[in-house]
Amino acid sequence: MSDDAFSQLVDMYYPSLYRFALSLARSEADACDLAQQTFYVWAKKGHALREAAKAKSWLFTTLYREFLRGRRRGERMTALEAVPEAQLEEVTLEPETVASMDGSVVLAALQEVEEIFRAPLTLFYLEELSYQEIAEALDVPVGTVMSRLSRGKAQLRTRLVSRVETNSGKVVPFQSSTNKSSHG
Amino acid sequence: MDNEEAKFILKAYRPSGADAKNARFGAALNQAERDPALKTWFEREQARDKAIAVKLQSIRIPTGLRESILTGGKLSAARRSWWQQPAWIAMAASIAILLTLALTWRYRSVRIDWNQVVAQISNDAAHGELHGSHGEAANQLVAMLSSSATHLSAPMNIDLGKLKTDGCRTLSVAGHEVMEVCFVRSGAEFHLYVMKRPVARDLPRAPQFATNADIHSVLWTDADHLYVMASTKDESALKALL
Repeated sequence: MSDDAFSQLVDMYYPSLYRFALSLARSEADACDLAQQTFYVWAKKGHALREAAKAKSWLFTTLYREFLRGRRRGERMTALEAVPEAQLEEVTLEPETVASMDGSVVLAALQEVEEIFRAPLTLFYLEELSYQEIAEALDVPVGTVMSRLSRGKAQLRTRLVSRVETNSGKVVPFQSSTNKSSHG
Repeated sequence: MDNEEAKFILKAYRPSGADAKNARFGAALNQAERDPALKTWFEREQARDKAIAVKLQSIRIPTGLRESILTGGKLSAARRSWWQQPAWIAMAASIAILLTLALTWRYRSVRIDWNQVVAQISNDAAHGELHGSHGEAANQLVAMLSSSATHLSAPMNIDLGKLKTDGCRTLSVAGHEVMEVCFVRSGAEFHLYVMKRPVARDLPRAPQFATNADIHSVLWTDADHLYVMASTKDESALKALL
């Protein structure tokens, strides 16, 4: 791949890749490292990709795999795992409330979402990938992506509401449960 | 589809409308159009998704990240050996394909129907009265073949070019140029047909005996040539000469 083509590819995708990495790694330094590592792998192997149209999905897949490879086992679980689905669905959050929030607060809430839901959720909001492409990038079935989007949205909504109520002096209504829910 | 199912599907609908042409959302979108409660829910869901997307897409990108990615990528690309460059890989692949095609074509071009060869030669041998070899090289070959000391399966020093130049009888069999001489052994007439050994995968490894009408034949090869000996004499007579 020529330098110009590589530059174009970087310009097209590095912001989204960085934001995806930031949602996963939760640290700016690690996110930069992941984005850089992804393009490094591309420079080494990406030229072998036959379909240029697959470059986008290849980059997101590679970043996610690099993240999984690098992170320690056991980091995945968060306190939200124990929250029943029905309880998450009851939480309401007005669009206007989100619009009034700072971007860093939304990002922080997203970073608290369980990792298994966070990856598809971020790709969904970055809008770079359709749910089919998300399934391909994360190597999971389409139905699983839809399920994780649904649950991930509910978790994010809960975390956002929690932050809003904390800032307004209310007690956070969120309660953890002893019932473990399954994830798919 | 009930409203819960429709909601489940519509939660994956990107707020930018990028999924508008995706058939998987069609039924759920239609249901949202028909059901006011679902429609309201969908509009709020989309508005919230859009607000979150805007917030996430506004996350600042660290200064210098682009430059460090570009530099890192160029350095890693520069470290690649010349033979790992796409142009060289493509060239090597092209050569490999051409070689494969050439070999395939070559093998196909000389694929021989041995039954057809033997049948054609047998038919020719059946009309031995029309044969007649000429020239010094052919005469020397006939003399050698006529000697009871000669075993035809042993290496024979045959120069096809010289035979042809000297006027040896030449015929075309299955597209191949074949030299033919007649010789007599123990009072019986035999015909030896010789051609350049073809490049083919299905060459018989051992002498192949066949019978066509009244003609018996045996086909064999050595390092340079392919031979067919034909006679009205039976297989045992042919074997005795090998």
